[in-house]
Amino acid sequence: MAKLWAIIKREYLERVRSKWFLIATFFGPIFFSAIIIVPAWLASKSKATSDVYNTTILDATGTGFGHRLAVNIAGDSTIPGRMPTVKVVAPSELTMAESLATHEVMRKQKTGYVVVNQQTLAGESARYAGTNATSIADMAQIKSAIRQTILASRLEKVGLDNEKMKEITFIPLDFSTERITERGRAGSGMASVLFGFAIGFLLYLSIVVYGQTIMSGVLEEKTTRVAEVVMSSVPTDTLLVGKVLGVGAVGLTQQILWIGTTYVLLKLRAPIMAKLGAPAVTFSLPDISLAAGILFLLFFLLGFIFYSSLYAAVGSSVNSESEARQAASPLMIMIVSTGVFIQPVLLNPTGTTAKVLSLVPISSPIIMPIRMAVTGVPPLELAGSLAFLAIGCVLALWLASRIYRVGLLMYGKRPTMKEMARWVSYAR
Amino acid sequence: MTEYAIDIVNITKRFAGHTAVRDLTLRVPTGSVYGLLGPNGAGKTTTIRMILNIIAPDSGMIHIFGRPSNDPKITERLGYLPEERGLYRKMQVRRVLKFLAELKGVRGSDADRRIDEWLERLSLKTPEKDWGLAKIDELSRGMQQKVQFIGTLLHDPDLVILDEPFSGLDPINAQALKDTVVELKHRGKTVIFSTHLMDNAERLCDSVCIIAQGEKVLDGTVTDVREEHGQRNIALALEGDGMAGVASILRDHSLVKRADDSNRFFEIELAPGADPQALLKRIVESGASVQRFEMIQPSLHQIFLQKVGARGVEERMSGHG
Repeated sequence: MAKLWAIIKREYLERVRSKWFLIATFFGPIFFSAIIIVPAWLASKSKATSDVYNTTILDATGTGFGHRLAVNIAGDSTIPGRMPTVKVVAPSELTMAESLATHEVMRKQKTGYVVVNQQTLAGESARYAGTNATSIADMAQIKSAIRQTILASRLEKVGLDNEKMKEITFIPLDFSTERITERGRAGSGMASVLFGFAIGFLLYLSIVVYGQTIMSGVLEEKTTRVAEVVMSSVPTDTLLVGKVLGVGAVGLTQQILWIGTTYVLLKLRAPIMAKLGAPAVTFSLPDISLAAGILFLLFFLLGFIFYSSLYAAVGSSVNSESEARQAASPLMIMIVSTGVFIQPVLLNPTGTTAKVLSLVPISSPIIMPIRMAVTGVPPLELAGSLAFLAIGCVLALWLASRIYRVGLLMYGKRPTMKEMARWVSYAR
Repeated sequence: MTEYAIDIVNITKRFAGHTAVRDLTLRVPTGSVYGLLGPNGAGKTTTIRMILNIIAPDSGMIHIFGRPSNDPKITERLGYLPEERGLYRKMQVRRVLKFLAELKGVRGSDADRRIDEWLERLSLKTPEKDWGLAKIDELSRGMQQKVQFIGTLLHDPDLVILDEPFSGLDPINAQALKDTVVELKHRGKTVIFSTHLMDNAERLCDSVCIIAQGEKVLDGTVTDVREEHGQRNIALALEGDGMAGVASILRDHSLVKRADDSNRFFEIELAPGADPQALLKRIVESGASVQRFEMIQPSLHQIFLQKVGARGVEERMSGHG
């Protein structure tokens, strides 16, 4: 036990002391909060821009419709410079006016122009031309302003006074979305998907990075023959388990630091967003209980043990880094093919694909936490997933320890799959 | 204390396609310096790995100090230096040594004290510079070898196992290693090392075992082995010209069984029943100027060549020992 501890301690301390660990631990939270802050910032950007104010309204209605539209586009007429310019034109001069307005836009004096005429009053059509014609938010704002103006002028016709009219047409609708799961309401749908993606991506990345860390660690011990010295002091199984646990603890430390600092950064999100000049968006964090948090870490640990023991076996069977990369490609394929399913599972977290993938140990350590993040998972499925994953870990460790103890002592040519299969059957 | 540090009875180890060690029996007396001799691929490293319980024999028994070799307590009394050497390159020297000490059950301040002693003793720690704080890959090759010796001996093992210890050593470290082996013997420790350098073995070892193709060829104390191979050898040294005549005499198989020709020095094994005086007479008559003509015990080198001959040297040069 003391020797196992010595191995775990060495693996842990040597890695935690490395520059690489410090850098990754520092940049991780920045990266993950960026994942969450940037979309929110972009969402705030999806409000109409000030471009809509820098427009010309060509009013061919002859009813003053253009002035009312200008007020509606500006929304708040008290801010100077927010009012679109209105040009009242006779229907016969419209073509001329449009070509003048086009030139203004081309000379970048204006963003665009709106044409309103009799058809517009009838509620049939209106036209817009401008550099921001593809901006969904800008167009939506202008369109709704036109609708509102048409509605107002119709109400006026039936004799409603100005005050009443404003009261009726003023609809400052804030459309917020929320997702419902089997367990009830679960906060903002967008936030859940983002969170699920972040979890999946984090697990995916950690397994690849730490799996390869273990692989090169084993390879170093083999090529420097340190392995032989260690094996003369402790059983190979102890060495393997010590390495897996030591590096696993490094991964766990990093995840906890990441999650902790990301959490703090998210708490500080509103001030950060304010600094970025974006208005605070109502954005509720998914409600993650402590139990769920522990389950996430458990999935990480088991998934890590599953993959890293196989990576260790690969590292022991080869003689150089380049051989290792080749020999590890089956493992990479297993992980990458799981990664491919992250998005489909996010979109349909209760589908058959998601259910099957969260039971298979190859994919469950990544897929199940994603499902947990975006939807309610029945306890039975959760237990099944954990049980299969645990069995997978035992099998992977068993297989790895058999390849490991032979591979570490074999130098020269890289073994074929057949030879490795024979190693597994060796007594010792 | 048990009589034998290592007691190996009829061990056999097979790998896919070949038998690395076949029915080997070998006893290393406690407190002796023991040489395991053999050509490349003879099974030396495999034997050492089995002694260290890194691999298990397919059949047979190994006892270390009277206990089975897989007894976990035994490993703490063993010190091992593998053939090709290296250490964790990015790790600090002290931390590497501390780790190796912990694996052998030496911990805390005890380990620190021993590390300091050894670093000072091998001049890796001087008032000007403490290499213990450097990383392994900042050290020269010679210094790395020293660190590796320290790692092998830090826990004061009763049995020290060195696999080809002299390969790749510079003359200074080689001498330091020889001194260390002698000192260990004086302190009652047992040292076993494998080598294919017979000169070193002859000077250092109390006993030897020659193996080839996984089988024991002979074993015993160096004195016994040489006596067994009789007073049938002659050391001949020549001066000046007249080599040609001598060469033809040495090819006469009624007188000479085999001759090891080192140009001016010959180690000659007489043919059975041949008279050394007759040989001397023929050489003098050939006109050669004889500087030395002496009946000697055969060297280990001679015995090795004679016993192993061509059979073990050519095949299985895999380096797996």
